[in-house]
Amino acid sequence: MKQLIRLTVNEREYEVAVEANTTLVDLLRYQLGLTGTKKGCDLGDCGACTVLMDGKAVNSCLVLAVQAGGRTVQTIEGLETAGGLHPLQQAFIEKGAIQCGFCSSGMILSAKELLDGTPHPDEPEIRRAISGNLCRCTGYQKIIEAIKEAAR
Amino acid sequence: MILPKFEYHEPTSIGEACDLLAHHGGKARPLAGGTDLLVNMKKKALCPERLISLGRIPELAQVERSNGTLRIGAGVTVSAIASSATVARSVSALGQGARALGTPLIRNLATIGGNIGSARPAADLPPALLVYEAALVLRSAAGERRLAINEFFKGPGLTAAREDELIAAIVIPVPSGYAGAGYLNLGVRKAQDCNIVNVASFLELDERAESIRAARVALGSVGPTPLRSPSAEKTLVGQKPTEALFEQAADAATRDCTPILDFRGSAQYRRDMVGVLTRRTLAMALTEARSRN
Repeated sequence: MKQLIRLTVNEREYEVAVEANTTLVDLLRYQLGLTGTKKGCDLGDCGACTVLMDGKAVNSCLVLAVQAGGRTVQTIEGLETAGGLHPLQQAFIEKGAIQCGFCSSGMILSAKELLDGTPHPDEPEIRRAISGNLCRCTGYQKIIEAIKEAAR
Repeated sequence: MILPKFEYHEPTSIGEACDLLAHHGGKARPLAGGTDLLVNMKKKALCPERLISLGRIPELAQVERSNGTLRIGAGVTVSAIASSATVARSVSALGQGARALGTPLIRNLATIGGNIGSARPAADLPPALLVYEAALVLRSAAGERRLAINEFFKGPGLTAAREDELIAAIVIPVPSGYAGAGYLNLGVRKAQDCNIVNVASFLELDERAESIRAARVALGSVGPTPLRSPSAEKTLVGQKPTEALFEQAADAATRDCTPILDFRGSAQYRRDMVGVLTRRTLAMALTEARSRN
C-alpha cells in the first residue's frame, strides 16, 4: 500500500505517494526525475547516491522514502543558483576533478557538508570527509585540490 | 536491488513501539539507522514482514549527563557521538570508536543502539562500552530491565534481548579519579571496512596515580562476540604501569581470544595484532588517566 509523504527537495515542496520499500534514491531518480543523484552499489558502500538530508550527507540508498517524510533534502540539482554554479561545482570543473562524473554528485555533497561546518578544512579533514565516496578515475588528488580551492 | 515488501510503522513514542513489537512478535523488526538491516534485506538475508521505524521517537535521541552517569538514547547517531564534547571529555574511547566506524555517510545514519543490537563481532562501539561497563536499558510492553553489556552478546547477530524488547538507552558510569581509556581498530583500509581486530582498554590508578587499581580490556573481531580479556586484566591490577607490564598484559590478551582465518587475515596475524593493539590502547589509557586531576 502506498503512503503519502511530504518532503522538501531543493527548496521545493513535494507531496508524493510511495511504497514502503521504495528507497530515497529511487524516489529522487524515478518519481521526481532528479537523476543527478547516481545509484552505484545500492548497498551503502560507494557513496554515489549521497544527498544532504537535514544538512547531513547520507547514502540515499539506505534511507526509505517514507523516512524522508517531513525532512529537507538537497541533491546536486539544488546547488546551482541564479548567480551560477556553486563554488564546489566550479572548482571541480576547473581542477579537473570530474572525469566520468559518476562520483561527482556525491563527492560534492559530502564536501558541502564539510564546508558548511568547517569552512577552512585541512587536508586530513577533507580526506576523512570524502572517505565514503569512491572514485575510480581521478585517484582523488584532483578532488582534494578542488575542495581546497572551493574553501579558499 | 529491490527491497522485499514489508508493512511500515512509524511510532512516535517508545511505548507505542513496544506495543507494536509485542503485537507482531518475531515478524517485526525495529529499524534504526538502516545501515545494517536494509543492506541485509536487499541481499534477501532478512525479510521481515514489518518494520518499526524508531526514527520519529524523540526520547531515543537524547543524551543526558547526571549523577556520574552518561545516558545515551539508543537512537543517537554515531556522528553525534563522534563529535560530542561530553563524550570526548567523559568517555573518550567511545568517541574514538564512533570516529572509526564506517564512513561519514554511514555515521550520519547509524545509531549506537543499532551498532549494539546488530551484535556484529567486529562492531566499533562495543569494546569501549565493555571497558566502561555500560548497561543497556531494555524496554518492552511488559516493562523495563537493565542488563550489563557484558551479558548482552551471545553470538554473531545473537543477543540476550527478547524479540519484544528494544534497546532504549545505554547508561555509562562516567569514570572518576585517575582513570583513562583508549580504543584502536585495525582494518585493511581506514574507512568503509570491517575490522580485522579492534581493542579498547581502561585503567584506573590509585589516589597517588602510581599503581593500577582497576583494569579492563575488551577485544573485538576475534571471537563470536566482543569479549573481555580476564587474563590481561588480572596481569595489570595492583601493579605499577610500565611498558614491560603492558607487554605482559598484551601477551595475556592474545591467549584470551579465538580468532578465525579469512581473506582479511590469518588467525595468527589477528592474534598478534590483539597484542599490539592491547599494548597501544593501554598506553593511551595511561596517558589519559595521568592527565586527570
